[in-house]
Amino acid sequence: MNIAVCVKQVIDTEAEKKLDPSSWRLDRNVNCILNPYDEYAVEEALRIKEAHGGQVVAVCMGPEKATDAVRKALAMGADTGVLVSDEALAGSDAQGTAYVLAEALKGLEWDLILFGVRSTDGETGCVPAAVAERLGIPLLSTLAKVEVEGSTLKVHRETEQGYVAYECPTPAVLSVIKGINEPRYPSMMGIMGAKKKPLEVKDAGALSLDKSRIGLDGAKTRVLSARIPEPRKAGVKVEDDGSGAQKIAEFLASEKLV
Amino acid sequence: MSNQSGILVVAEPKDGKLANVTLESITQARALTAAAGGPVSVVVAAAEAAPFVAAAGLFGADRVYVVETPEAAVFRSNVFIDAAMAAIEAAEPAMVLCSGSPDGRDVAAGCAARLDAGLLVDLTGLEAKDGRFIATHPCFGGTVIVEKEATGGVAVATVRPNVFAREETPKDPEVISLEVEFGAGSLLAKVLDVVCENVGIVSLEEASTVVAGGRGMGSAENFKLVQELADVLGAAVGASRSIVDEGWVSHQYQVGQTGKTVSPQLYIACGISGAIQHAAGMQTSKCIVAINKDPEAAIFNFADYGMVGDAVALVPALTEEIRKRKSAS
Repeated sequence: MNIAVCVKQVIDTEAEKKLDPSSWRLDRNVNCILNPYDEYAVEEALRIKEAHGGQVVAVCMGPEKATDAVRKALAMGADTGVLVSDEALAGSDAQGTAYVLAEALKGLEWDLILFGVRSTDGETGCVPAAVAERLGIPLLSTLAKVEVEGSTLKVHRETEQGYVAYECPTPAVLSVIKGINEPRYPSMMGIMGAKKKPLEVKDAGALSLDKSRIGLDGAKTRVLSARIPEPRKAGVKVEDDGSGAQKIAEFLASEKLV
Repeated sequence: MSNQSGILVVAEPKDGKLANVTLESITQARALTAAAGGPVSVVVAAAEAAPFVAAAGLFGADRVYVVETPEAAVFRSNVFIDAAMAAIEAAEPAMVLCSGSPDGRDVAAGCAARLDAGLLVDLTGLEAKDGRFIATHPCFGGTVIVEKEATGGVAVATVRPNVFAREETPKDPEVISLEVEFGAGSLLAKVLDVVCENVGIVSLEEASTVVAGGRGMGSAENFKLVQELADVLGAAVGASRSIVDEGWVSHQYQVGQTGKTVSPQLYIACGISGAIQHAAGMQTSKCIVAINKDPEAAIFNFADYGMVGDAVALVPALTEEIRKRKSAS
């Protein structure tokens, strides 16, 4: 079973995120990491490969430095990487990103496409569904379990009350959640080996991308304004003197919250 | 394109009712179309649609499009996308509102991709101005608030639960039954089983009160104190990343950047330090109460009411106090 796993480079979840006020684009000149949710997708792809054979390709759209995110996937164990990188792609929205990824995926061999459930910076969680729609294959999102039996997938989709079990033939697009597995740390061997693994960088021309669909100009949404909200102010701070619980209850009652 | 008018709400059936966020979206759509014109339509896809149709009417839908089929008995992304698309073609709305849940995101993204339409996610505000819809949404854990609009034609959006009011304005809606021919690919995913392990659980994203616990609760065993406080308040339970990573509770309780985003009326943080990545998931709560024994904890910088003290002792005492007040009233 050949698997394409789509990954994204995001700003470190511990770092403060800033917007460039001239373009409303995210300032990415800070520490960047592989999107935490994508680690689960890479791990799941590797587990399926280890059980059933096949190749894993990591596919990414991003600036040149996103090579690091692809290398991380390769260090974990993916076989090859593809980075779609082009100045013309900067500012693409979720729709534009899905278009680019779908075009990149069309040129690759896969039976299954895996995503993390969302990115920790864009946070839309919409790219997997849009890619599935563009490729015309089924979507199974928010998965807590994936099993492969021949060319059939058996998956659990998380719900608030538990889960729904589905069965679906390949090819399909899947998105996986935290908790589906415990992602491995790349070994020293893996990190060294990743440098030698094939990583192809493709630009908009190489994928014959339609320029009217990509970048800030191709976005189907327009930012009208962006503002930093008034930071929440510290309210009352009280030291517990033994009557802390009564005091909290009184506060809640005074605010009509109980 | 000029024919597009009004708002179509894609209903999310949940436990035999319409999800709160669907009712909130209908209420908001009513308010907007009162000024901007155009009907409020709702599309319901279900095996048995009648109760959902009634609920949509109760909250003021002008029209309800019904896709009644056994194929829609349980959520399946592709089936629900096809159903929503059929209603979009019939209603020709200017704006489509889906719920900001995993189901709603799939439907919104699928429809937007098929329509090549603007996709606006996680709305916390929606206004009509000169016939255009302007959406507000918080990015980067609420540290930046962005106003956006779609650049042409219909826009598809997801709405964050708990931000718009729910108001009944009973109407007798026109009910329009749609026959949907599902694409061959749409029926490939088959439902094998629906498993309910947490029957009666209060939805974290829709709850009006959330009680969340962190490392300051001391142990996995003590986490039940958080659950007990939540129970007496009718609240949902949340957790910080560190205790999820420790394995005290399952990740589905996690609030924060790699967990859920919540905006309840009241958020009680018990033994949670309030690091950036936790704040990202809860700082749009209306009122935040924090209990933490470290007076320097970051959470006190943005809590409305902070109690410096041991959460392990204070949480059960607060449960008892609220129980007492409830039985007295």
